[in-house]
Amino acid sequence: MPHILVGICLPITEDKGEKTMSYKELSAQDYRVCDIMVCAMARLIKNGNTVFHGVSSHMPMTAVMLAKALHAPDAVYLNIPGGVDPKPAALQKYTSAGNELLERSSSYFPLAEVFDLSMRGKLDVAFLSGIQFDVNGNVNASVIGDYHKPKVRMPGGAGSAVLIPTAKRAIIWRTKHDKRTFVNKVDFVTTKGNIDRIVTPLCVFKYENGKLVLDTVHPTSSIEEVIENTSFKVEYSKLEYTAPPTAAEMAMMKRIDPKDYRNIEF
Amino acid sequence: MNKLMPLTQAVEMIKDGDTVGIGGNVLHRAPMALIREIARQGRKNLRIVKTAGAMDVDLLCLAECVYSVDAGFISYETEYSLAGHYRKAVQNGIVKGNEHACYTVISALRAASAGIPFMPVKGLQISDLIAVNDYFTKIKDPFSGEDVTVVKAIRPDVVIIHVQEADINGNARITGPKYDDILLSRAADKVIISAETIVPETKFAFSSDKADIPHFMTAAVVHAPKGAAPCSCPGKYDIDRSSLDEFKAIKDKDGLASYLGRYMSADYRR
Repeated sequence: MPHILVGICLPITEDKGEKTMSYKELSAQDYRVCDIMVCAMARLIKNGNTVFHGVSSHMPMTAVMLAKALHAPDAVYLNIPGGVDPKPAALQKYTSAGNELLERSSSYFPLAEVFDLSMRGKLDVAFLSGIQFDVNGNVNASVIGDYHKPKVRMPGGAGSAVLIPTAKRAIIWRTKHDKRTFVNKVDFVTTKGNIDRIVTPLCVFKYENGKLVLDTVHPTSSIEEVIENTSFKVEYSKLEYTAPPTAAEMAMMKRIDPKDYRNIEF
Repeated sequence: MNKLMPLTQAVEMIKDGDTVGIGGNVLHRAPMALIREIARQGRKNLRIVKTAGAMDVDLLCLAECVYSVDAGFISYETEYSLAGHYRKAVQNGIVKGNEHACYTVISALRAASAGIPFMPVKGLQISDLIAVNDYFTKIKDPFSGEDVTVVKAIRPDVVIIHVQEADINGNARITGPKYDDILLSRAADKVIISAETIVPETKFAFSSDKADIPHFMTAAVVHAPKGAAPCSCPGKYDIDRSSLDEFKAIKDKDGLASYLGRYMSADYRR
């Protein structure tokens, strides 16, 4: 990945236009791609939102806690073990579905009920992932090759097939950005559409009029790199950059995740 | 009625070809002592049901006990990566991977628990899963005339659940996340409980913390301290990393046999 010095005069791309974040300028040495991704995800959470993440989700887990600690204190944090707004003493490296997300929470609202909540239109944000994505917003988390005799059997979409269509905003993160991940046509449609954003190590995509289009390019990457690593045509109306993490965000992330689990997918 | 019995006897209640629901979630409170004994007894053609499984399903696939897996997610989480034996078994056509969304497993179990043949599922609208799997189909909502996806009921013959506390009659209480275990117990024909501690029969009667699974649903109780290990058991122990590493390094059935052998003294202690 090209190393670019940033932080001097980049626009703050708060596209929701709700609030301008003031930040002490940091340079690219002060943060990594995982920090940019977590911050980008955290900023998509609005105050008061109900927010859910599932298994294998250390980055969204950090993002939800970061949002709650900074700009979205009244966001409601939901998870598989069922602790509402947990304040875990410590996170676990091997899981984002353990008892630490129930301990030190005051109410119990487990997975089945989170699904029901989404089905009745009351889940604002769901963080999900996948293996392949195409320009039409199809998501594959199932198989590569034939479904019944797959070349590669993936873990499965977990909640994706029902949460992406029903959550108000489905936010996808994927730590791989290459031509085999962002393809012209997925091998298998686990689910389709209703994607709010896809956060990758290079950029953020958004879903507009039935197409994935570029939202912002990370300051650590470039439009050339995004194009080079995406199979479909990368469309955008105006080239904008992802706002880098602020000093406050970096400090809070280190407090929430002192053992740096947000970086384990890299 | 006293339902306390040895591990071996409880597992004998599971027959070849049974649909087996497994309690816990990923590496948490999986009923591993029961799973190990199923592997030792060489059960065949089991139809496994779980929302999100990891080592339990992976071990049973390596032991060649499995015909199909109905689940939303089968993998270890980030640090321990993919469930290699499950994955290989599906790729080689030995195990049928019936992919669900975790919610469609829940819906299928809810249907079974309510005694109905299928359950409408709202979220599953556009997905190749509907076409390739015969347990999903679309029907017309008789009231609105709109299309609705339905999932076929899954009624497990046996559900195996590890809990922190149970009494000899089969009253069982889960501490910490209950995941989908209560629903599993209601959907099943038979429930087998393994418990860290066998509590006195008066325990739940005199406590405000009642049992989650009542005795009349339970067919067998096994006293299995460390019965979830090497998975975690909230309030008792966390994962056993060295045992997990050891299991992840196993390549074949011989390796599994010696791994299972090393657990025998712990599993048969009671």
